[in-house]
Amino acid sequence: MIKLRSAIEALARHKVKFVIVGGVAINLHSSAYVTYDLDFCYSRERENLKRIVEALAHFKPRLRDFSENLPFIWDEQTLKSGTNFTFQTNIGDIDMLGEVTGVGAFEDVLAQSKVMNLFGFEINVLSIEGLIKAKKAAGRTKDLLVLPELEALQEALKREE
Amino acid sequence: MNEKAIEKLLNPPPNGKIAAAKEFGIDLTLLARKLRLTPEERLEELQQAMESFEELRREAEKSRQNDKTKVGNRSARPAQS
Repeated sequence: MIKLRSAIEALARHKVKFVIVGGVAINLHSSAYVTYDLDFCYSRERENLKRIVEALAHFKPRLRDFSENLPFIWDEQTLKSGTNFTFQTNIGDIDMLGEVTGVGAFEDVLAQSKVMNLFGFEINVLSIEGLIKAKKAAGRTKDLLVLPELEALQEALKREE
Repeated sequence: MNEKAIEKLLNPPPNGKIAAAKEFGIDLTLLARKLRLTPEERLEELQQAMESFEELRREAEKSRQNDKTKVGNRSARPAQS
């Protein structure tokens, strides 16, 4: 279970360029969906990787799908060597995505995001439209099940946003 | 701020996505209630929901362990003549 405030505040304080996607984004748009991890799309610029490393180092990230016995180094080089990562940390599970299927790389995701005020920071959150694209592209049953709720919210908010 | 959206969710226009979601089984009153909250309040509710589910999961696990122990104790009881 992720401690959302700790994770979001750490990223924002270190000026990480990121967009919240996935279940937390769905929830932020008023869905009743419950998730247990934080997914965010991040800029792969070198400076941003450095900021991510600094922001999350305190939470001791390690790869979820790797044995704890295997050596893992939390640094820019590790982040450079991949695109999408699933981490467990001492504040819960965090998934970092260099790109979001159906939406694109960070700049595309950012262009389809909406700014929300969270804990005193302006945080980018993937829009309902972006989430619908991502869920349709992912196409797994668990993704498709959330579509009716997102589409209902999209229709309800159509002229209000 | 979201009053029109809330109204639409509570009284869905026919043949639209809101009506389809209702038909699908989505509780639209939950969405309407969430719309009244700020994003930060929604996040706080999500955090509380996670914690409640985690507590329930732990209790269920404890209960399963207790059941196993009871079964184990029963099977370990000496047969009475």
